Amino acid sequence: MTTETTADKAAMNGRPNGVMLEATGIGKAFPGVQALDDVSLSLKSGEIHALVGENGAGKSTLIKIITGLYRQDVGTLRMGGEVVEFNNPRSSIEAGIAAVPQERSLIPEFSVGENILIERMPLRGSVFVDYDTINREAARWLEVMELDIPVTRRAARLSAAEMQLVEIVRALALESRVLLLDEPTASITPHEAAHLFEVLRSLRDRGVAVLVVTHKLEEVFELCDRVTVLRDGKNVASGEPLDGLTRDQLVAWMIGRTQLIAELPERPPRGEQAALTLRDFDTVDGVEGVNLEVFPGEIVGLYGLVGAGRTELAHAVIGASEITGGEIMVGGRKANIRSVAQALSRYRIGYVSEDRKNDGLILSKDIVFNVSVTLWRWLAKWVVGWVPDSAERELAKRHAEALDVRTPSLEQTVGNLSGGNQQKVSIAKWLAADADILIIDEPTIGIDIKTKDALHELIWALAGSGKAILLISSDMPEMVRLADRILVMKGGHLVAEMENSRRYDEISEEIMKELA
Amino acid sequence: MTRSTAMARGRQSLSRFSEYSWAGLLLIILLLVVIMSVVSDSFLSDFNIFVVLRSVATAVLIGSAQMAVLSIGQMNLSVGAIGGLAAITAGGIMDAYGLPVWLAIIGGLACGAAAGALNGIIVARTGLNAFIVTIATASVFLGLNLGLTSAQPFYDLDPNFTSFGQARFGFFPVMGFITVATMIALAVFYYRTLVGRQLLAVGGNLSAAQTAGIPVGRRVVWAHILSGLLAGGAGMLWASQLGAAQPMIGQSWLLVSFAVPIIGGVALTGGSVRIIGLFLAALIIALINNMLVHLGIDPVYVELLLGLLILGTVWASHVATRSEETKRSLR
Repeated sequence: MTTETTADKAAMNGRPNGVMLEATGIGKAFPGVQALDDVSLSLKSGEIHALVGENGAGKSTLIKIITGLYRQDVGTLRMGGEVVEFNNPRSSIEAGIAAVPQERSLIPEFSVGENILIERMPLRGSVFVDYDTINREAARWLEVMELDIPVTRRAARLSAAEMQLVEIVRALALESRVLLLDEPTASITPHEAAHLFEVLRSLRDRGVAVLVVTHKLEEVFELCDRVTVLRDGKNVASGEPLDGLTRDQLVAWMIGRTQLIAELPERPPRGEQAALTLRDFDTVDGVEGVNLEVFPGEIVGLYGLVGAGRTELAHAVIGASEITGGEIMVGGRKANIRSVAQALSRYRIGYVSEDRKNDGLILSKDIVFNVSVTLWRWLAKWVVGWVPDSAERELAKRHAEALDVRTPSLEQTVGNLSGGNQQKVSIAKWLAADADILIIDEPTIGIDIKTKDALHELIWALAGSGKAILLISSDMPEMVRLADRILVMKGGHLVAEMENSRRYDEISEEIMKELA
Repeated sequence: MTRSTAMARGRQSLSRFSEYSWAGLLLIILLLVVIMSVVSDSFLSDFNIFVVLRSVATAVLIGSAQMAVLSIGQMNLSVGAIGGLAAITAGGIMDAYGLPVWLAIIGGLACGAAAGALNGIIVARTGLNAFIVTIATASVFLGLNLGLTSAQPFYDLDPNFTSFGQARFGFFPVMGFITVATMIALAVFYYRTLVGRQLLAVGGNLSAAQTAGIPVGRRVVWAHILSGLLAGGAGMLWASQLGAAQPMIGQSWLLVSFAVPIIGGVALTGGSVRIIGLFLAALIIALINNMLVHLGIDPVYVELLLGLLILGTVWASHVATRSEETKRSLR
């Protein structure tokens, strides 16, 4: 493998199993919040270290301090024993820390190769970018990850999974002594994840210190050697060996109590007349020949990997992208949905976006605003064009309470809520709009265990109250827990439909067989 | 260069070409040319083509001054004011101080760069929106201009300077060489140099550029300086064409400065530049202008029609070049 240089460097710079990166007594406050309080993290060379905790526990803040985006108020960072001060991302990179941030961090107009080498573009005559070297170097690193992506392709043309993989390759290419990965497997296939883990293990064996931030506990146990747990900005565990640790213990650390997965209650049987029917449905962006039905009171799961066309399907159903063939029927009648506004006002279809930050919510506005945004048209009917404040508040209050949105007040800016609560507001918005058909896209991505459970109960209860729910998810346990029927999508086609027996091993095996 | 990388690069430029369709713009140009050559006898005369191409030469520079700031995802509302200030600086150096033309040109460019630097430093330091900053500085620059000149033009310019604006080879304006050379340099800058790539990175994904260790603040200043330089150059070409350094030079540039890059395919959100697109867009605008003159439209209505036609063109080019991404985005 071509990571030998990494190994040599790491071996030279860090004593094997010596402490490579050490954060001690880190504190960081934001107006009104103590995000981190006396937090320590000790990362050894030659280990894979997990950093876990619920949303809002302070993981991202700690990562941002280590990568030089934030400056800690108190505490010290040491690299290889020496105190370091990171005033900007550059200084962190130069100290030997490479990071794969959670946010999309590719430059859309740049080629894959240029994105991979962006931190240290090879130059000719210190002015001109040397594309030959870029393409050669980048191709070499893509090969390490066994990726078949042309180095000259523009980043904007990559799929979500490819983007994430390229970001990982970019961090690898820095050949750093410390590698940080924030939710690295959020949008890649299990196969790609398995390969990533292999690469990470080989880096570890060559002395690199690897830190992985993840919500997926399976990954923690499969991949990592030690774990640091944060809760409410404090250390609950610091560098505990994972060998011998139980899942229950880890969860108890994370949420402060043992996890009780609530039994989901029985639901009334589904309705007789399909709420949503698609026949030979084609879209402009590659969905082809899809036939499906969703009944009132039913949760239909749409499983597939990122890029299978599920979101594209949803967008076309709600009138956000072009339908090129087939038909949609709502409540048994042919529907002609031309816009998102119409999908809601005439056909009562709501879409809870997977991308709550960009499509779902207006982060700079408060809860009232976000919940009532879908309703203005309706509210404003009463007094031409004027949205009565009290009506808005009343509705927002009712739905925020029903969904148990945890907030000091309804005037709270949505951007300041935790991810789980943001997701609840996002759902509340469509409930307030009285949607009968809800398409819920990846509802629990990046959401912690406790809130995930609450969201599951919520979706279950919505189906119980007679809503027809199309649930898009790449989270297999979630799918098996919630869906009544599971449809499997691959490359824009439906490849299988199965009744959900709710036996995890059986269903997951069957689904993976379809996807293979 | 090995064969495979040469091929890779070939594919790269080919895909860059195919991703952006000029067909729509070329079609509009063809249409305008055909209509005009049928309607008017004098349209295809050497002199008329010269007039059209000369206005293309300045419009491309004006558009590129805006593009330099659009490339980082910001706007510069002071392009015209900087152009005017640079023009009267150059004019003043020649007229009031009687210094040689090369000094005047250096002075004009330095003035443009300084004005751009001021914009950039304010934006980078304060974090204020470039839109509002440059609206304000536009007024400052114009005020400075009027104060320095008492609103009087400089007429006594070096004859070499003024004759340059009229010089032509057949139908080709000599000042076109300056524009072409500048645009080639700009293309090399954006597509081949580190700083140019970093500017596009800042415009393409600000937070990613930051985490990649690119000095974002300095690049913002760079973009504004570049914009000021190009605007200054455009101002002096304009003065050379007029034969006088008019204080009001630049006051009519606002629409053109945005229409040229936008019709040319530059994204308002930043991260992209289109050099050939600038030329095609400037040509369309010049042809529309020329058409209105040839059709003998009452000058009272020229502004109205020009605005409507540019609006139509922006829309047409938007439809023609609408990418997969915009189709997919939520309406």
